[in-house]
Amino acid sequence: MILLQAAVSGLLLGAVYALFSTGLTLIWGMMNFINFAHGEFVMLGMYAALLATWAGLGPAAFAPAAAAALFLLGAVVYFALIKHVMRGPMLAQILSTFGLALLLRYSSLFIFKSDFRTLPDSALSGTIHVLGLYVARAQLLAGAAAAVVALGMHVLLTRTGLGSRMLAVAEDRSAAMLMGIRPDRMQALAWGLSAASAGLAGALMAVAYPFSPVVGETFALTAFVVVTLGGFGSVPGAMIAGFLIGLVEALAAYLIGPVYKDIVVYALFVAVLWVRPQGLLGARAR
Amino acid sequence: MLLEAEAVGRSFQGFVALESASLTVAPGEIVGLIGPNGAGKSTFFNCVAGDIEPSRGRIRFDGTDVTRMPAEAHARIGIGRTFQVPAAFEDMTLVENVMVGGFLRHRQRGRARDRAMEMLRLTGLEAQAGHLARSLGTPGRKRLEIARVLATEPRLLLLDEALAGLTPTEIQQAIGLVRTIHGMGVTLVIVEHIMEVIMTLAQRVLVFNHGRAIAQGTPEAVIRDPQVVEAYLGHRRRRRDARP
Amino acid sequence: MKPGLGTAALWAALLIFPLAVAGLPSAPFLQDVGSTVVLTAISACAWNIIGGYAGQVSVGHSIFFGTGAYMSLAVFGLWQLPPVAGVPLGVAAAVLLALLIGAPTFRLQGHYFSMATIAVAELIRLTVGNWDLFGAAIGIQGPATPRSGWDLIYRSAVPYYYIDLGVLALVIATTAWMAGGRFGFYLRAIRSDERAARSLGVPVRRVKLLALMLSAAFTAVAGSLYALKVGFVNPESGLGILVSVQMIITAALGGAGTLYGPVLGSIILVPLQSASNSWLGGGGSGLTYILYGGIIMLLARFEPGGLLQFWRRGVPWLRRRLRGGRAADAA
Repeated sequence: MILLQAAVSGLLLGAVYALFSTGLTLIWGMMNFINFAHGEFVMLGMYAALLATWAGLGPAAFAPAAAAALFLLGAVVYFALIKHVMRGPMLAQILSTFGLALLLRYSSLFIFKSDFRTLPDSALSGTIHVLGLYVARAQLLAGAAAAVVALGMHVLLTRTGLGSRMLAVAEDRSAAMLMGIRPDRMQALAWGLSAASAGLAGALMAVAYPFSPVVGETFALTAFVVVTLGGFGSVPGAMIAGFLIGLVEALAAYLIGPVYKDIVVYALFVAVLWVRPQGLLGARAR
Repeated sequence: MLLEAEAVGRSFQGFVALESASLTVAPGEIVGLIGPNGAGKSTFFNCVAGDIEPSRGRIRFDGTDVTRMPAEAHARIGIGRTFQVPAAFEDMTLVENVMVGGFLRHRQRGRARDRAMEMLRLTGLEAQAGHLARSLGTPGRKRLEIARVLATEPRLLLLDEALAGLTPTEIQQAIGLVRTIHGMGVTLVIVEHIMEVIMTLAQRVLVFNHGRAIAQGTPEAVIRDPQVVEAYLGHRRRRRDARP
Repeated sequence: MKPGLGTAALWAALLIFPLAVAGLPSAPFLQDVGSTVVLTAISACAWNIIGGYAGQVSVGHSIFFGTGAYMSLAVFGLWQLPPVAGVPLGVAAAVLLALLIGAPTFRLQGHYFSMATIAVAELIRLTVGNWDLFGAAIGIQGPATPRSGWDLIYRSAVPYYYIDLGVLALVIATTAWMAGGRFGFYLRAIRSDERAARSLGVPVRRVKLLALMLSAAFTAVAGSLYALKVGFVNPESGLGILVSVQMIITAALGGAGTLYGPVLGSIILVPLQSASNSWLGGGGSGLTYILYGGIIMLLARFEPGGLLQFWRRGVPWLRRRLRGGRAADAA
């Protein structure tokens, strides 16, 4: 029974992983760009939620607030930095967001110190007894909300006009321009959405799990594993992989020990690179 | 036969870019590939060059099966290619660019350099040997690419719209260069949209449309083929006649 | 960059530095900073081979550094051998790890390699941090007192300085030799345009692997030298992300892909870091990394070629201005 408990817990966290990983893979597929600061965006979402609760916002409001704040940050980062390094050498592209990650992480450490915090208790505390299992209400909410939003992103991309415009830019930038689509705007939008997904995921996690400025690095790695397993640029792939990694992590923690859960996930990453780099749903890896 | 491509096809996740095309090229020939955009000629070209692996069919070069060989192996056995959008090594000088090609056959830096300078002379770029590649305009970059691939001593050279975007004078010079290369014993397969070039240079033409090769023959015979006129040349003729 | 007056002056200065400052009251401190400058330059030059010349950005190079450091101290901790005997072991392990990471990722697009380097770095850091054989979270210590000359334990920083300088000379000489020949040309071609390089017969995957293995080997040696001098290593100091960051920023600031860029970067950054540590104390290191993040971003945005590139572009511009604003031909 406890194994099942661990599995459910893992799936709920996996939903959150799925959410922020769809943001990362969206950018990757659209602009062939990996955001090395994505983990920090998640972390900032957690702190944005914290600040929102200090400002008096209730549980229903701080998650969207964090998402909105990160959306803005994503767009700003695009216009100030990404736009300019995108067409340059690989070194500049990778260093740009890597440097940003350092900046965000150490600034947050400077401001908030390294202590782990949680959001103040709210209506979301306590556990629910369902089907013989005890599930933390906050974890259930976080997982459910994450799954819904991730699905929403997929629908946005594949079934709306906006989504097809974004995908057109990914497909062929010049052709998209000829069709009257503004690539710059679409890419900034993608960055905003990507950051917002990370911020929202962070805010949802802050409800259920303790956080500190150092967690960004772990989330970034989790995101890398998920998007690789899911496949280059595949949002559905990232969603499935997110759940899988959450599950694997929880089972590893339960069966081997909490200390080893990250080791198992990273070892799985290396295995995927060796055996099936295109991931579950990826078309190409080259 | 230097090149034998049999029923080569390529699909991308269900989308059939090239259904089936066959071509044989004898040593010393100049063969042209023409057809509207999206007709499959670039896909076919890239399969022969080794950039893409065909989904169907076989390609043999001088008897060796090269269907599954990677691009670098193609270069080593003597197939060279240029790119539609010139791909110069921007931060390296012209001679350094060509040396990268030269190193394929000459391990030693000095010999690679000599070979590189020879190719730069051939393509008329000798004077700018020490300049950075990024300082060249498009015509210069195209010539640089040719010099660079020639340094690899190819037996078969694949030119991908090498004459696109050139002025009439430059086109005449380029035609002269291609003739010189041919005179050196290199077999050529060229993709071109400019009909004058095809008519002047190609001994044989393969016409693509909708992912298939629809006609093959001498340039004169092919222009008169009603299918070809319908698919491609008719359209081009109307546009050409419309220009002042 | 052809060896010239500047290079000769640099090496002369590096050679006499510890002796030149020997008379000053703060000599031990200065000599210590000097040896750190040289050591940092070694690992930055090593990173430069794969990150700068080949353009494959490793953000987890601490893997190789830590391997060298740990192996050296492990042979002492386990078998009481002098740490220097662990150097070949460290190099071998590093090269193996390079193969493990590079073989699958170098046939894929560049991001996979970068992601893999961070992931493997963390993987190893966590593994070592939980493995008693390597001291778990506490780490491994070297010999407290020298048992023989081979232990290479000195109280002064000066012998370390010269040992490190010798290794730096070796790394630079190897890089220079490699850069001038076919291998170096192939590296630059790959960095520039992989597809074009392939079409010219460049065996891209093999060249990248060789570059990574060479880089890993030198980085492992740097790690061993570090362990020798400091006498101690733990998961944070040997395998932490900040080790990787230091290599990257040092090489990138001076000029990634140039021969002496990493040396220049080290000469600038190490004394600054040392100064900020003394003035700001512990809190200083937090600010240092905020600053490093900012510098890396600025470099990426404005001058990925680093200071040497900035200088190379600036000098002709300056010359033109001094000549009275006459337009000069493009290079």
